[in-house]
Amino acid sequence: MSRRPSARRAPAGARGLSVGLIALLVALVATIQIRSQAEVERSLVGVDSTSLAFLIDDLHRANESLEAEKADLARRRATLQSGQTGAADQVLRDEAERLRAIEGLVPVQGPGVVMVIDASGLTALDLQDALNNLSAAGAEAIDVNGHRVVTGVPVAQTTNGVAVDGNVIVSPWTISVIGDSNRLAQVADLMTQQLRADRRVRGASYRVETDVVISSLISEKPFVYALPG
Amino acid sequence: MSTRGLGILAVALVALATGFVLADQVRTQLLTPSNQLARYQALVRSVQDLEATNADQRRQIADLRNQIDSLESDAAGRSATTQSLRNQVADLRAHAGLVAVHGPGVEIVLRNGSPGPGSGGQTGYLVNFQDVQDVVNLLFTQGAEAIAVNGRRITPLTAFSGSEGQIVIDQGPPLTSPLKIDAIGDRNRMAAALNDDSALPGLRARQVQFQLHLTFEGLADISLPAYDSSLQIPHVAAA
Repeated sequence: MSRRPSARRAPAGARGLSVGLIALLVALVATIQIRSQAEVERSLVGVDSTSLAFLIDDLHRANESLEAEKADLARRRATLQSGQTGAADQVLRDEAERLRAIEGLVPVQGPGVVMVIDASGLTALDLQDALNNLSAAGAEAIDVNGHRVVTGVPVAQTTNGVAVDGNVIVSPWTISVIGDSNRLAQVADLMTQQLRADRRVRGASYRVETDVVISSLISEKPFVYALPG
Repeated sequence: MSTRGLGILAVALVALATGFVLADQVRTQLLTPSNQLARYQALVRSVQDLEATNADQRRQIADLRNQIDSLESDAAGRSATTQSLRNQVADLRAHAGLVAVHGPGVEIVLRNGSPGPGSGGQTGYLVNFQDVQDVVNLLFTQGAEAIAVNGRRITPLTAFSGSEGQIVIDQGPPLTSPLKIDAIGDRNRMAAALNDDSALPGLRARQVQFQLHLTFEGLADISLPAYDSSLQIPHVAAA
C-alpha cells in the first residue's frame, strides 16, 4: 500500500512536465505567429504592395523625365557658355517657342489621339477628370471642341452646361490630344470603356492619329496680383 | 516486442507525425508573412531610393535653371536684342510657373479625417488627388494666377494622380496629408468660392461623414517657389 502512491506520483510529475513543455511550445509558436502577422499588418498601414508597385513605376517614369529635362538644360547651358555670336538669342528664341506651345499660345501639331464623347448630363467635373487623365498620360497639348485647354484654363459648370474658358461646349465633345500615342491610347481605351458603362453616355470612341493639328489658342492674360520674386 | 514497447513506438510515431504536421504548418504560416514583409520592405526601399534620386534631380534642375538665367543675364547685358528676347521669355516663364512669385491670395489646408463605418469608410477619410485637383480647379476658375501644393508649383502641363491618400503631382514624389494649397489672385473672390456650400460637393460630403478638414485663410502676401521639374513636350511641333 505504501508503495502505490509513490509509484503514481512519478508519472504524474512527468506528465505535468510534458504538459508544461507543450504549453510553452504552443505559446511560443502562437506568439511568433501573432508577432509576425502584426508586423506585416503594421508595415502595411496606409499603402499596399500593389500601390507601392504602381508608385515605383510612376517614380521611374518621373525620374526619366527629370533626366531628359536635366540633359536639355545642360545642353542649353553649354550653348550659352560657348560664347558664340547669337547663341544666347537662339537659346531664348527656342525657349520662347517651346513655352508658347506649352501655354497654348501658338498652333501645334503632332501624334496623338482624338476622343469623341456623345452624352447628355456630363458635368464640369467629368470633363476635368477626363482632361486630368489625359494629362497624367503625358498629354502635351489639348483641345476640346475647338477650345485650347491647359491646366489653369477654367472648366466650369454653368446653367447652360459645361464651359471651357467661358465658352459653353455642347455634346458631342471632341477632345484632341497630342503626346505619346501609345500611352494616350491606353488611357483613352480605359476611359471609353468606363464612359460606355455610364448611362448618360450615348457613345464614346477614340482614334489614334499620326498628326493631330490643334489650331485653337489661349489668349494671354497678364498677371495682376502675382509679382516675380 | 512487448505490449509496452509497442505502445511507446506508437506514441513516438504519433509524436513524430504531429511534429511534421506542426513544422509544416509553422513553415507555411510563419514564412509567408515574413516573406511578405521582406518583399514589402524591398518595395519600400525601392520607393525611398527613387524618391532620393527624384529630389536630387529636381535640385540639379533648379540649379541648372539658375545658371542658365545668370548666363542669359550676362548675354543680355551685351545686346539690346538679347535683352528684349529675355524680357519676352521672362514673362512666358512666369506664366509657366518657372519663376518664383509672390502676392496676395489664399492658403487652404486639407487634412485627413477619421475612418468611419459605411461605404468608403476605409479610404473616404483620406485626402486624395481628386480633392486637390478639385480645389486647384476651383481656384483657377476664380482667377488664381499661380498655385502651389505643398510648395510644388502647378504648371500648364500639371497632372494629378495617386492612390489611397497619396497625391502625385507631375514628376514629384507622393504627398500626403496635410496638404497646403497656396494660390495668388483675388483673395476675396477665391474666399467667396471656398465659402460656397455648393462648391466642392465631394469634399464637403466627406467633411460631414469623416470629419475631413478643409480650412482656409486670406493672406496679404504669399510666396510660391519656381517649378523644379520637367516641362518637356517632345511630341509637339509648331503647326
